[in-house]
Amino acid sequence: MMAEWLTRMRFLVRQIFRRRGRQSDLDEELQFHLERSIEANKAAGMTPDEARRQALVDFGGVERTREECNRQRPGWWLGTVAQDMRYALRGFRRNPVFAVTVIATLALGIGATTAVFSVVDRILFRSLPYAHDDRLVSFGLVQSLERQEFTLGAFFFDWREHQKPFESVTFEHGASACNLTETNPAHLNCADVAGNFLPTLGISPILGRDFLPEEDLPNGPKVALISDGLWLSRYNRDPGVLGKTIDIDGHAAHIVGVLPRDFEMPRLQAADIVRPAAIDEAEQHTANSGLGFPLWAFARLKPGVSVAEARAEMDPLFRHTQLWIPAEFRQEFRLQVRSIRDRQMQDAYTAAWVLLGAVFAVLLIACGNVASLFSARGAARQRELAVRSALGASRGRLIRQTLTESFLLALAGTAAGCVLAEILLRTFIAIAPTGVPFLAQARLDLRIVLFTVLLSLLCAGLFGILPALEKPRASALAARSTNSGVQARLRHVLVAAQIAISVVLLSGASLLVKSFWNLEQENLGMQTRNVLTVHVPLNWERYPTSRAYMDFYLRAESAFRRLPGVTSVGMSNSLPPDANSWHGGMRFADIFVSGKQRTAPGTGGTVVIRMVTPDYFRVLQIPIVEGRGFTEEERSGSGDFIILSKLLAARLFPQGNVLGQHIQFANYRPYFVLDGPVFTVVGVAGNVKNAGLAGQDDPELYELRSSHHPEAWDNHHFFLLETSLPASVVAPWVRSRIAQLDPTAPVEIGTLAQEVSKLADRPRFETALLGFFACCGLLMAVIGLYGVIAFMAAQRTQEIGVRMALGATRLDILRLIAGEGVRLIVLGGLVGLAAALSLAQLIKALLFGVGPHDPAALMGVAALLALVALAATLIPARAAMRVEPVEALRYE
Amino acid sequence: MPPSTDLLQGTLDLLILQTLVPGPMHGWGVAQRIQQVSQDVLQIGQGSLYPALHRLEYKGWIRSDWGNSENNRRAKFYALTAAGRKQLETELATWERLSAAVGLVLGRIPEASA
Repeated sequence: MMAEWLTRMRFLVRQIFRRRGRQSDLDEELQFHLERSIEANKAAGMTPDEARRQALVDFGGVERTREECNRQRPGWWLGTVAQDMRYALRGFRRNPVFAVTVIATLALGIGATTAVFSVVDRILFRSLPYAHDDRLVSFGLVQSLERQEFTLGAFFFDWREHQKPFESVTFEHGASACNLTETNPAHLNCADVAGNFLPTLGISPILGRDFLPEEDLPNGPKVALISDGLWLSRYNRDPGVLGKTIDIDGHAAHIVGVLPRDFEMPRLQAADIVRPAAIDEAEQHTANSGLGFPLWAFARLKPGVSVAEARAEMDPLFRHTQLWIPAEFRQEFRLQVRSIRDRQMQDAYTAAWVLLGAVFAVLLIACGNVASLFSARGAARQRELAVRSALGASRGRLIRQTLTESFLLALAGTAAGCVLAEILLRTFIAIAPTGVPFLAQARLDLRIVLFTVLLSLLCAGLFGILPALEKPRASALAARSTNSGVQARLRHVLVAAQIAISVVLLSGASLLVKSFWNLEQENLGMQTRNVLTVHVPLNWERYPTSRAYMDFYLRAESAFRRLPGVTSVGMSNSLPPDANSWHGGMRFADIFVSGKQRTAPGTGGTVVIRMVTPDYFRVLQIPIVEGRGFTEEERSGSGDFIILSKLLAARLFPQGNVLGQHIQFANYRPYFVLDGPVFTVVGVAGNVKNAGLAGQDDPELYELRSSHHPEAWDNHHFFLLETSLPASVVAPWVRSRIAQLDPTAPVEIGTLAQEVSKLADRPRFETALLGFFACCGLLMAVIGLYGVIAFMAAQRTQEIGVRMALGATRLDILRLIAGEGVRLIVLGGLVGLAAALSLAQLIKALLFGVGPHDPAALMGVAALLALVALAATLIPARAAMRVEPVEALRYE
Repeated sequence: MPPSTDLLQGTLDLLILQTLVPGPMHGWGVAQRIQQVSQDVLQIGQGSLYPALHRLEYKGWIRSDWGNSENNRRAKFYALTAAGRKQLETELATWERLSAAVGLVLGRIPEASA
């Protein structure tokens, strides 16, 4: 046994050094055999010629013997693999278009799929850094002014006591900026959480321990958990950090543990330090008029309980506590129970699924393309295979040869695809709006690379092998036309399917493009050019009172007014058309018009309220359509004035007669009182987009930001500078003016046009991506179509020659070849349109100002497809038309 | 001409090994000898002969050397190795057992045991 193995090894080694030698040895041996055979025949009395002929006949094929002999050698297949590879590479060099097309198709398919999946994976399938994250929910109240669930202390503790669906219930008390007041001060974020926060989410510290129950009591020992990031940056991962004291905003706390590296708050706020909230439960029933502080509640479902069941079980508890809410807006509040993942992802879901669908479609097209390319090549090579088979190559050898080619192409395609995926991924991250969660952390997903590679290998392998599998018939040697029926039909089906899929992609993309166009063309109702926005978010520690804010902002305003090139300076506490500034909203039903019946509570929706200075209207060029604007004198006077938007004026005063009316706003502490100032309506302004670019316009009212209401000033404050100078020129001046007032004040400068364009980032991202995929898909489908038609035309060259010789005109030939293509286009196009119509509903949520079955967009798709596909058909058809009959008849 | 694949699997190896017992021989010689001894019943074509020779060589049962043939031409001679002799004994034993068994099944008593 051992000896035998050693012999094999010896041959293996020897073979590496003298392969050629072995080959010629064998030839010499066979030659000797043949000569002896001839001599034997001569000796038997044949003539020399006859002897030679008979010997050759007896001898049989040499190629097969050679191969058989080679195959006896241990490790013989190593040699054949190299040989197959050389052969394949030679083939690719001879027919580079085929190789390049396959590699490009694979690269595009693999690259796009991998990149998009890597992005979408983080959104759709990423597991949260919590144990059994599928059982974690976020629950609480929602209402029209706050659509993200929250809860109030009194509610929370009542629910926690009586709830049944949850294994455990916890909360966080928000995360906010905090400062390390030590020798090396730092600005950090501190989160306050319930004592059972970590165990409920299934997180355990990587070092040290969790909070003890007594540490979560009011006046308990002050302790803190620090994030891995802080542990690294401040303590260089020193395990001795435990028990150290850390000064947070002047209060000392003991570090008891370090959080895992992937720790994140369920609402994704930044948190460097996590502290026990130490909430006094009893106080929650008295503070904030008995409702308690705002909290954000999370819970772990009992095993086997679904989110819907939990919601149903929580509903009676909610109904009970709902009675504590003031009657005026009690009905507005609803219970919300949803998974933490849903809360984190918001509306990113739809976009992610659409993206995934699009990329899957591209992958299908790529596979179809590879399959039909291989199939066409296989058909064209039938004769070659038949020749090799006749020369003695075994079927296994032929299959191996085909597989080697597929494998080489797939390898090259994969390499190119991975590079492309990395490039695409970086591009996505670069152009993506900030709102797409986790995009920045997206990395290439090796599992999906593997999956797409396997899939394309399967496509290539399957369709590459098919022609090799059937034993090449002797007829293939003689046959002029090698276009076998089944395979030709298969290719046609593949091409039609590719066209259909790209129609679906294209129509999705065209809908998004149209929707995006609508967004861009949206009439904002205001001027955004030449407007600079300046935001100075002052720190409450340096500016402890509203009056301090007011003084600073007024001084800044007069400083800006003196800047050269700045024609006017407006101020406001929020900027249109963004809808995210929730603090600028109130209920329509809370507006009281003197001498009129109040609107039924809970009706009328919300109203945007904005605190502005007189120049706000001038800078944004918002027209005053009735009455007048605010005046500079009124800012320091004692009256309270407001301006209504046209929409609000029409809602409040359908009969007109707006000017001079008196308006008051309801206050809740927490029960309804009407003790605020009485406002006089001085004017009506034009409507301005104020609920995001795609949102419905809300009615709006403008309150004058006056100096006799210093309590209304806070650091939600924007300056609007009208200037014809470029932002880059004015910005340093603005910074230096602010620095003169307070060198520590942070300054954020932008242009209003940028701010508005930022709102369109998301649709722009979605449109760009889907458009990209649609173009990829169309390109590949068209390549596939071109390939099939060109192949068919080449196969039929001889037939064309015969037809022309028999009197067919060139137009007949054009019709013959192009007709085939047109049939495929029409078939694929119709199927695709039908599919697009039924799938369009899915992207309805992403569309603005365009229906999912927009006829113009679909017509555009049809026209584009017809144009491109016809071109792909006509080019080879024209080439066929130009065929010279005489040459065609001699073809091959 | 019936190809040698009609021979039982492994039988060709046995024949070749047996043929080489008297001394080294080239491929042509092996084929001729088998044909002669079998009285033209077994004709080994080069298509089976050379792969079999190579197989045996790779297994280490025979070894090859270039030498001069009887008419002074360069030819490759195959010779039995020690391992080959041992193998031949095993195979002969197997063959005898097998043919006796086949004989029994076919209802003919092999002459050797008669």
